[in-house]
Amino acid sequence: MQKYSIFSLIKNAFSNHEKWDLAWKDPSPKKEYDVVIIGGGGHGLATAYYLAKEHKITNVAIIEKGWIGGGNIGRNTTIIRSNFMYDDNARFNEFGMNLWRNMSQELNFNVMFSPRGIINLAHSDAQMNAYARRGNSMRLNGIDAVLLNREEIKKIIPMADFSEDVRYPIFGGLAQPSAGTARHDAVAWGYARQADSMGVDIIQNCEVTGFDVSGGKIQGVRTSRGDIKTKKIGLCVAGSTNVLAEKLNITLPIETHLLQACVSEPVKPVLDGVVTFGAGHFYISQSDKGEMVMGGDLDGYNSYAQKGNLPTIQHVLTGGIALFPFLSRLKMLRTWGGIMDMSMDGSPIIDKTHIDGLYLNCGWCYGGFKSVPSSGWTFAHTIAQDRVHELNEGFSLNRFAKGYLLDEKGLGTKTWIS
Amino acid sequence: MLNINCPYCGDRSQKEFAYGGDATVKRPELNKEVSDEKWNEFIYLRKSPRGKHIELWHHIAGCRQWFKVQRDTVTHEIFKTAKMNEEIK
Amino acid sequence: MSQSYRLKNEGLINRNKEIIFKFNGKKYKGYEGDTLASALLANGVHLVGRSFKYHRPRGFFGAGVDEPNAKLQIQLNGHSEPNVNATEFELVEGVEASSQNCWPSVEFDIGAVNNFLNRFFPAGFYYKTFMWPKSFWYKIYEPFIRKAAGLGIASVEKDKERYEHKYEYCDLLVTGSGPAGLSSAYSAAKNGAKVILAEDKPRFGGSLLTDDVTIDNLSGKDWADKIITELKEMPNVIVKNRSQVFGYYDHNMMVMFERTGDHLNDKPKYTPRQRLWYVRAKEVLLSTGSIERPIVFGNNDTPGVFLSAAAKEYIKVYGVLVGKKPLIFTNNDSAYETALEFKKQGIEPIILDTREEQSSELINSAKNQNIQIKFCHAVIAANGYKKVRSAQIGKLNKEKTGFENIQTIECDCICVSGFWTPTVHLASQSGNKLKFNDDIDAFIPDKSKQNEKSVGASNGTFTLKKTLEDGFKTGFEVSKNITNNNISTSTPNSNETKKSVHDKFWCSPLPNGKNYKRFVDFQNDVAVSDIEVALREGYRSIEHVKRYTTLGMATDQGRTSNLNGLQLVANVEKKIVPQVGHTTFRPPFTPITIGTIVGREIDMEYMPTRKTPMHTWHEKNNAVFVDAGAWKRPRYYKQGNESLFEASKREAKNVRDHVGICDVTTLGKIDIKGPDSAEFLNRVYTNAWLKLPIGKARYGVMLREDGIVMDDGTTTRISENHYHMTTTTAQAANVLSHLEYYLQIVWPELNVNVISTTEQWAGAALAGPKSRDVLAKLFPNLDVTNESLPFMGYMEGDLFGVKARIFRISFSGELAYEINVESDYGLYMWEKMIEIGKEFNIQPYGTEALSTLRIEMGHVAGPELDGRTIPYDVSLEGLLSKKKDFIGKRSLQKEAFNKNDRQKIVGLVPTDKKSSIPEGSHLVLDKNAKLPNPKLGHVSSSCWSVENNNPFSLAIVKDGKNMIGKKLFAVSPLKNTAIEVEIISSHYVDHEGKRVRS
Repeated sequence: MQKYSIFSLIKNAFSNHEKWDLAWKDPSPKKEYDVVIIGGGGHGLATAYYLAKEHKITNVAIIEKGWIGGGNIGRNTTIIRSNFMYDDNARFNEFGMNLWRNMSQELNFNVMFSPRGIINLAHSDAQMNAYARRGNSMRLNGIDAVLLNREEIKKIIPMADFSEDVRYPIFGGLAQPSAGTARHDAVAWGYARQADSMGVDIIQNCEVTGFDVSGGKIQGVRTSRGDIKTKKIGLCVAGSTNVLAEKLNITLPIETHLLQACVSEPVKPVLDGVVTFGAGHFYISQSDKGEMVMGGDLDGYNSYAQKGNLPTIQHVLTGGIALFPFLSRLKMLRTWGGIMDMSMDGSPIIDKTHIDGLYLNCGWCYGGFKSVPSSGWTFAHTIAQDRVHELNEGFSLNRFAKGYLLDEKGLGTKTWIS
Repeated sequence: MLNINCPYCGDRSQKEFAYGGDATVKRPELNKEVSDEKWNEFIYLRKSPRGKHIELWHHIAGCRQWFKVQRDTVTHEIFKTAKMNEEIK
Repeated sequence: MSQSYRLKNEGLINRNKEIIFKFNGKKYKGYEGDTLASALLANGVHLVGRSFKYHRPRGFFGAGVDEPNAKLQIQLNGHSEPNVNATEFELVEGVEASSQNCWPSVEFDIGAVNNFLNRFFPAGFYYKTFMWPKSFWYKIYEPFIRKAAGLGIASVEKDKERYEHKYEYCDLLVTGSGPAGLSSAYSAAKNGAKVILAEDKPRFGGSLLTDDVTIDNLSGKDWADKIITELKEMPNVIVKNRSQVFGYYDHNMMVMFERTGDHLNDKPKYTPRQRLWYVRAKEVLLSTGSIERPIVFGNNDTPGVFLSAAAKEYIKVYGVLVGKKPLIFTNNDSAYETALEFKKQGIEPIILDTREEQSSELINSAKNQNIQIKFCHAVIAANGYKKVRSAQIGKLNKEKTGFENIQTIECDCICVSGFWTPTVHLASQSGNKLKFNDDIDAFIPDKSKQNEKSVGASNGTFTLKKTLEDGFKTGFEVSKNITNNNISTSTPNSNETKKSVHDKFWCSPLPNGKNYKRFVDFQNDVAVSDIEVALREGYRSIEHVKRYTTLGMATDQGRTSNLNGLQLVANVEKKIVPQVGHTTFRPPFTPITIGTIVGREIDMEYMPTRKTPMHTWHEKNNAVFVDAGAWKRPRYYKQGNESLFEASKREAKNVRDHVGICDVTTLGKIDIKGPDSAEFLNRVYTNAWLKLPIGKARYGVMLREDGIVMDDGTTTRISENHYHMTTTTAQAANVLSHLEYYLQIVWPELNVNVISTTEQWAGAALAGPKSRDVLAKLFPNLDVTNESLPFMGYMEGDLFGVKARIFRISFSGELAYEINVESDYGLYMWEKMIEIGKEFNIQPYGTEALSTLRIEMGHVAGPELDGRTIPYDVSLEGLLSKKKDFIGKRSLQKEAFNKNDRQKIVGLVPTDKKSSIPEGSHLVLDKNAKLPNPKLGHVSSSCWSVENNNPFSLAIVKDGKNMIGKKLFAVSPLKNTAIEVEIISSHYVDHEGKRVRS
């Protein structure tokens, strides 16, 4: 595989960039694989990469209905953080933070991870206390967290509304300085390129039409490009989990919902980190290109449409102006939507199932991007070893029945209330 | 913004309503033995089909009635709305 | 230089109104009716910006929404706005525009060094480098890239403009006032339909303003004016210019933004700057027209290269020449119209036509006027850096893959036409899957998924006659189905020049050895070579190409680049365009001001503010308010220089020693009526409710079905079948919906009605040992002794002429009452209580003192009932009935909820009796343990115990029931505190609950 570097770039410039290799091949499916990963999104690609790299399992196919990176890995707002209250969530994502920090070098693909920090703003003492509970928990887990007061916040985001004429004044906030953003598409492509180079087959335009299960064991998968034999299937199709689960006669504690995001036109740098509003559904960061990247609330009803309605965007941007009045004058350039697996406690599921050889990776709600490396790493372990790793022990399927819920927001099972 | 036909009030914009999820969930009867499995199904398992979905909506800024809506989860087209005691096939 | 490119007689601008404006610091003149673009062009200004990546000089390319380059920073009325499209911005007095993304100036831009290094910056180069050394990405490379990126500068000042929203319903919404829109709106309106006609531009008429056609023996423009005048007079029609329908949403919800104030020189105070319209239309008629697409050639981004239709529009609408030596480069007939317009103005154009020599009405008339036409010719490259000064042209070989002879001809502008692309954005947004039409080499709408139809150019119909026929017919048919009227309008006669078939030529080949940049997407600097690199590297799906090269992702959303991009991918991949497919069209059609989307819900109106009837009194008495959801509640009443801590201590102490009064209006109140009310409450609450006597209150806890505590409160039996329920302030709305859910869906057989009465009653809590004395004086005719009105008793009384409800309930743990009167009398009640209580040292107390009092007593509230706790955790298991079923009971059998070391609420006192324990601290065995340090629980609520005069906290701790008497550390690394605490009972004051019963 060609190594990407400034030198290879210069070298190729002199051959008019005509000698670059394929980033990944476009093979036809073989008859049989050791492992088939369904879903060529971030989680599926990362899982295949770690299967090959950490477990030396390379007879692996990733099958993707459309084109790789076309789901939520390419539709999210690129925030990476580990500011969780529950130990299971915190440790899992902090493990991921370490993978993020080395990802560009490990994948030899610049994923542009920047630790520009995240601030969750608080607008009451009660909220400050709730954040203190979370922040202290993070610190005791060895994760960086800082509680900032109003004056400290003002130094970081002076353009926020610190006037008298404001409905919910800023009291302070909880910051995780090591949190950040990355270039989402690059993550998918970087994992794909490396997985491909180690022998993983990336098979696009290949839709799963059914499963071959007998004797309680996975025997293979049926696709639009033919049947494929395999003893192990990893399902990494957040957003479509319920559709495929139905083909397996499995009902999961997941509802499918629509989340929108939008960007403004690009402007010169005005906001460095990620900021979340505490008195409404709104968060924002600025991309390297200069666009203000904004998101917030679910559209609020079950949906598989990758397009939403304007009132949700209006609601989100109303929070935006309440926080940053200057946004009023910018223009919204583009809106888009993604489909979320909303689990019943807001935390993911990475587990084995009652079907031998069927492994589940789902329920990411609207936080799947940050977990791509840790999810891929632990899922690869779970598939390769046929047992969960201690990092994903808490994300079991039976935690709901047993009551070991990981409900960071305390909202219960009304998944549409975010 | 969806346009929802409340069976009591008629066509209204979505912002008058609150969503209530899968309408086919049946609460186990009171004072009856329920297996762990059945109970957890009731609490956590929902239908979430790609296509026609029968769901609850609540006219909170109107008549405050809960009712059923049959809607396509891909196109968002609404086929039918019905009072709770009416069937949607 | 003063408007030397302005024509004497042509154009629709108002020459009587001269407007002075500035561009890059220099003064210019234009006219009312100009856009910033037309005014600058009139003054011969072409160089207006620099490109995103290579900082190449850029000029105007289009004349409207199609413009990819001319995005300017605008200063007006003290506001600064980035990325304003100069081809759409209407000239107003005093506007100051400047170029973006260049330094030190647009004429001399240091960033242009990128252009000379462009061979090192192919598509996606940044994914391949900037990786070493690791820390440099965030610290060095990325800050540099961020600074270089972005277009204009966002002002961080607050926007003082006003934006409004409007909601409309109509039978038919027509988007665009060209011939298709006018004819369909007119025939539908004549047939009685309620019609809204929206036109994005200031002037109605669309292509009729620039095309040489006649309808009903009138010029296109005159006919358009006539129809608009008629439509405006019809009561069933709303006609809007400067109004763009930018989004097609579910259930035919169309969203439009109207530029109500931007174009006004003296905007009246209450005229909004822009207005957002939510329009629910029974039917939508998409008459959005088409956009000319360019032919790709070398250095095609040089200032002076225009779309040919734009050049024509500058002449016909603005009376401006984009050049005096035009070269027209086309693969179809429509550019001949531009050539003829030039000729009319005495300018000699040269036409390069990629097609074989042929004749058509337009070609013949150009020939007749001695316009030089070179068939089978193409522009290879534009010459000139900041402005076109000549063009390298060549005769195409037979296959059109190369050139036979190459020459340079002088010109000062190149007007290019690669045929027309229907504007299908709204149709696609509606869910209509587009289909590719080979005749026009573009996508057109296919089957409708919602109630929409496309007519005219947006449907691929490029002749006026057919457009008018379709328009009149569709308008009639659509309206007939809605109005049931049958008044049809006949299609008027029209005249237009017939056009011959276009050539599929879309990109000039490179002559051997030449390496000109041929741009597909101008704004994002995406050239043919970039797309080729992407495909070579395996980014083959059109979405991959888009993301890897950023094709079509700029602020113009690829309006002029998408189709050429698809052509290129199809050519390289040896496919046809429909196999490549297209990327998704997403709203908005053009960028929309965020202020417009938000409207009036800004500043204090971000959320409603709910105030209790006693609010004015609180204000007058120095209350400091706290937000409780939408409510404003007094947090404390400040006396002198008191701090929050001092004031709340004083207020709480006064309750414990004397008597206090607290506004509790915000508590949720629900009236429950009906013969099955007791049974219903018995199912909703965890404790027993069937035997509650009339005139008694009871505390109740309700769970979610998953076993988690949902809310708590007291409910009082007012009469046989009438109960009054209270909820917490935060959960009021949720509890009501919850009750309605069970009554309407789960147990419809119960005969019970519920309704919120939160706003109907004002409530005041009277708490403290002297509260009965105050009560007795408030109700001199009532017997309020402990015997007659015991704890959890209820009475109705007459409060100086006002009917009042008296509940003997307590949140503070003191002898206490809660009195409710109808809201209108709330202030009256409050003032009476203050007045009468004076002699007993009554003082108002706020939520902070309220918290202190409840924490000391071990009463749980929001911080403990955080959506994660079961009754056992907060020591409410005593309220779980064993005899009956209730909501959530079955869940309490879950494994995690029955573990021996299950968490439980406890009290904490610092061993030094001094250090306040920060809320949100966690409890650990060893404050110095290595991380991760195992957490045993967290501090949920803290106060200064006024009873014991030392800090006290509530905490929820693992194995809480066995922890009493143990010592742990409450650590808050965030605040750098580690306080040794002793674990005690959560009931710190009056364990036995004697006071409430005294």
